Amino acid sequence: MANVAVSSFSRGVARSALVAALAAVFILFAALAPGFLSGANLLSVLVNNFALLAIVAIAMTFAVSAGGIDLSVGTAVDFSSFAFVSLVLAGQPVALAALGGLAGGALVGLFNAVLIAGIGISPFLATLGTLFVGRSVQQLLTNGGNPVYLPPAGVPEAFRFLGQGTLAGIPVPLLVAALVIGGAWLVLSRTRFGRVALATGIQASVVRYSGLRLPRIAAATYILVSTIAAVVGLILTSTVTVYIPSSGNAFLLNAIGATFIGTTFDPHGRPNVPGTVLGVLLLGIVANGLLLSGLNFYWQQVGTGLLIFCVLAIGFANRKAAGRA
Amino acid sequence: MSRAPMRRFAMLVDTPYIPASALEVEAQKAFEPPGAGPTFGRRFATLALRGGALAVFLGVLIVFSVTAPFFLTVGNIGNVLGQSAIAGVLAIGLTIVIIAGGSNVVTGGIDLSLAANMGLSAAVYATLAQAGHGDGVAIAGALGTGLAIGAVNAAAVTLAGIVPLLATLAVMNVVAGLELVLTQNTVVPASGAFLSTLSAGGPFGIPVLAYLLLGFTLAVAAIVQYTPLGLRLYAVGAFPDAARAAGLPVKTFVAGSFLASGLCGGLAGILSVSYLSGSTTGAGDMLLPVVVTALLGTVFSRRLVPTITGTLLSVLFVGFLINGFQLLNISSTLVSGVQGLLILLVVSATTVLGRKENV
Amino acid sequence: MIGTAGNGEAIIRLENIVKHFGGATALSGASLTVVRGSIHGLVGQNGAGKSTLIKLIAGLHRPDEGRLEIDGRSYDRLTPHLAEELGIHFIHQDRLLVPTFTVGEALFLGRELRFPGTPFLDRGAMRRKSAEVLERYFGLALPHSALIADLSAAEKQIVQITRALIANPKVLVFDEPTAALVRREADLLFQLIRRLSSEGVTILYISHYLGEIADLCDTVTVLRNGRDVATLPVAKTSAAEIGALMVNRDIGELYPKPAVTPGEVLLEVDNLALADRFDAVSFSLRKGEVLGFTGLVGSGAKEVVRTLFGLDRPTGGTVSVKGETVFCADPAAATDRHLALVPEDRRRDGVALDLSVTENTTLASLDRFSHGLIDRGAERRQTEDLVRRLQIKTDSVDALVKTLSGGNQQKVAIAKWLSRQSEIYLLDEPTTGVDIAAKVEIYRLIGELAERGAVVLVLSSDIEELLGVTDRVLVFFRGRVTRQFISSETSPDEVLADVTGAYETLRHAG
Repeated sequence: MANVAVSSFSRGVARSALVAALAAVFILFAALAPGFLSGANLLSVLVNNFALLAIVAIAMTFAVSAGGIDLSVGTAVDFSSFAFVSLVLAGQPVALAALGGLAGGALVGLFNAVLIAGIGISPFLATLGTLFVGRSVQQLLTNGGNPVYLPPAGVPEAFRFLGQGTLAGIPVPLLVAALVIGGAWLVLSRTRFGRVALATGIQASVVRYSGLRLPRIAAATYILVSTIAAVVGLILTSTVTVYIPSSGNAFLLNAIGATFIGTTFDPHGRPNVPGTVLGVLLLGIVANGLLLSGLNFYWQQVGTGLLIFCVLAIGFANRKAAGRA
Repeated sequence: MSRAPMRRFAMLVDTPYIPASALEVEAQKAFEPPGAGPTFGRRFATLALRGGALAVFLGVLIVFSVTAPFFLTVGNIGNVLGQSAIAGVLAIGLTIVIIAGGSNVVTGGIDLSLAANMGLSAAVYATLAQAGHGDGVAIAGALGTGLAIGAVNAAAVTLAGIVPLLATLAVMNVVAGLELVLTQNTVVPASGAFLSTLSAGGPFGIPVLAYLLLGFTLAVAAIVQYTPLGLRLYAVGAFPDAARAAGLPVKTFVAGSFLASGLCGGLAGILSVSYLSGSTTGAGDMLLPVVVTALLGTVFSRRLVPTITGTLLSVLFVGFLINGFQLLNISSTLVSGVQGLLILLVVSATTVLGRKENV
Repeated sequence: MIGTAGNGEAIIRLENIVKHFGGATALSGASLTVVRGSIHGLVGQNGAGKSTLIKLIAGLHRPDEGRLEIDGRSYDRLTPHLAEELGIHFIHQDRLLVPTFTVGEALFLGRELRFPGTPFLDRGAMRRKSAEVLERYFGLALPHSALIADLSAAEKQIVQITRALIANPKVLVFDEPTAALVRREADLLFQLIRRLSSEGVTILYISHYLGEIADLCDTVTVLRNGRDVATLPVAKTSAAEIGALMVNRDIGELYPKPAVTPGEVLLEVDNLALADRFDAVSFSLRKGEVLGFTGLVGSGAKEVVRTLFGLDRPTGGTVSVKGETVFCADPAAATDRHLALVPEDRRRDGVALDLSVTENTTLASLDRFSHGLIDRGAERRQTEDLVRRLQIKTDSVDALVKTLSGGNQQKVAIAKWLSRQSEIYLLDEPTTGVDIAAKVEIYRLIGELAERGAVVLVLSSDIEELLGVTDRVLVFFRGRVTRQFISSETSPDEVLADVTGAYETLRHAG
């Protein structure tokens, strides 16, 4: 009984490490950074530092849940962006162009699905390969990597809506992110697919011996990951009205970081949507707070890195302690 | 009458199904490995893969030497070697971590902080040099920086128990940030006698960096492939339980591999300062190409495991590819596509061949 | 305790060792004295504490209580390194050899040979020396370039033993060394052990097979429930006595098998074949019947079970479920045909250790609880119901399965299929690594399944258990069904005689 009490206590600490870190940085910046607490600033944190990364990180959470990883999430963002811009330039209606963008992203997932579920390559290597191939394909499509601009005059108003519009006073990117987060949470924690993906990540052979088809689960997972990431391609393009080849990779490492920071939120260390969201929030607040604190701009990255490091260290140390108990 | 355990005969005999007609010869065959057929199959597959990789390498060299006359000159080959030195040192550092950590890239050995390490070490070198310190201080500063980063990785992985992928990812962020802080995201020019020597040409018109790469590879390969230390490093990575059973301190080896790769990052930093006459931004872009290069290197080894010489071949392969494309006026950005396709091809081939063997 | 053989001094002495793992007690006051120069057998059922005891000597665990003495010196705890320095070497059941190494590298890992005066490996010398040792002890010649991955199980075992021999051991501990060996290789091993013993090496020999113990050892210690119940000179005891000491005498009578009247035919297997594995396997099973499979490893019994569940593809014959011919290309297809497999490797294939009891129980039947979203209330109720019915001991249905005992984990593995309402249960060695109380509960469960009209196929190497729970038993040998027994009309000895008798005949013929 004593053992049980100790392990549940240490799990409690592990659980709160992320929340505590979040609370600590929030209070710290509220005290130190002028303007941090203002409504406008907090909103800008959510729109600029949170929404897009959150969506990519949610996509990553699915891959990690199923026991894999997707290094090509950025490629899906790029392909979506490219398809979207190209279709709009070709005079297609914006809605159709957006669907085309999603399809472009999903294509990357399909490629991964063939490699992982069809051939049986490990997700890390498969998606690393996809990342490299995707980079070259984009270079080829853009004459060696030239950005594709939309002429300011010719952009339909609807095009800007996704990235720059508001609905009931709330920025659309934030609404989309909320929608994706809510949906992903439901799918991962409350649906059959989510449960099976999670079980696959934990012990694939049991899933197979339970009469479920592993290749199908993997294929569905990686197509879903890319499709979610494709949403970011649409928002990003709509915000900046330009497609820059291979720009989506900027999200990759932070998305991985946020997902794994998020695992420390779960008592059993499983990847989970709320944890990932908190992880992204933590990264966003730190980036914004450091900026406002008037500290050297470049300390931002150091601070963020240190913070990720500490949360991971505490989380893993606790898990180790819990495992020993 | 005896009791239940008497009748538990599980695993007493491991006889494969043999048709009755074959029974007469069964006794003599007892010691022949039952897996002789599949083993031959796998050996053949391994040979084919390795031969295939070498053939592709040679094929590329031949195509370039035919289409680009300048390609096969001593000067050009020396250039490629020199240009590959930085990536080569980094890839070798990564290879050491992969050997000691095992080939599972997520839970096994990987060091994502290597490229950032190079950037910071270079910045430290350039900053020290600019502040008027001598070559010795600058060199010590750069190598010390690399080693310190390696030590942090080692502690995070072996003491805190963070999986290497994440530990080194976090360290990468910190290190890249420190580089920005140190350089304010600018180019820090550096010069000095030592740097000039490094960046100069050596005997036969081949750059000093080229000799350096070859010498470094030779030294590390000697340690990793030809000493007990290296053998143990492989055991630790390939089968930690076996290493433990042989009395080897697994964690110490893993920690050591991160220190070694940290040192490689520092060395690469010095080379990059000499090559670029200072420290520049954007070191992080080297990361994924280096990872791919190190992973590709396994096809150049007899047992399809990461080796130092295999990594060197892989580095040179990429170097020649970039060089050839340049000579032929083909966009060198295609190199990343070729690399990506190659890695997919290689891994698919190993997976499919491996699967056939299991059936 | 019933005395010790010989008057020699003790080389290993363990006294009143207690060892807990979490809540479970692996050893509760076990003692063991191994006399220098003896061949000492250590027997006990699964879970009796043999492997824990061995790991204490290997320095992989430290005792919670008790005394540990090697060569007359007392140690708080051993480390693997210290154990090796003291001359104690282990032949582990799992072959701990690096697959990508050559035989020479694997043999000398940790004590490599170098070119004199240099830090460099002398691979040639390692190769020569290993070839020489392998030739001398085993008459075995392996190709120079052979990698461990290329060797057969027996060859790997031999390499492992040779590794220990090179170190000139004082004590050699064998943990189930014959598990992967064919008879001829096992005979060679016994010769070798006798030779080593005559050269003064002390042997500690752990085995399930009392026959081997009787053949080889001069002293035997019997473990039961974490304690030593007896240490006897082999010359003054019998295999029967040892066997009786290993179990509680009364469990033999505890096969709660209900009488069930068989119903219609549910599963019919006709001439099923898998190339090089088994051939011409036919049987049919009616509702309420329990069929037993038994046979040596490689006899085809396990392979038939795997094939039925879609893990291997048959090369001939047909399988019919409820009169309809089915072809199961994968487990998913098999489960759709109402088949259920409780696999032997429970911790790898049977239950997901890091999922909760609920998540494991409903993994194969999520469709029943999923209407868009999973109805977690219904899922929980179903699990709680099964936990009650199967008497699964767990703090809560949300507890991770890894916190459960082996027997309770196995019940979760069975509950998974009950939740799916499967009708054909394939149980592969369902009671391995399960304590005696849980065994009886699993036997009861098998009877209950039959009563409810399911079909149960039990594959087991414990013949007494098999006769206790089944209606009929098929004996497999070299890929064929060689004989069928009616469980109530035969004796364990008769069945075993059929298996080993056939084997002996063959051995003499060969």
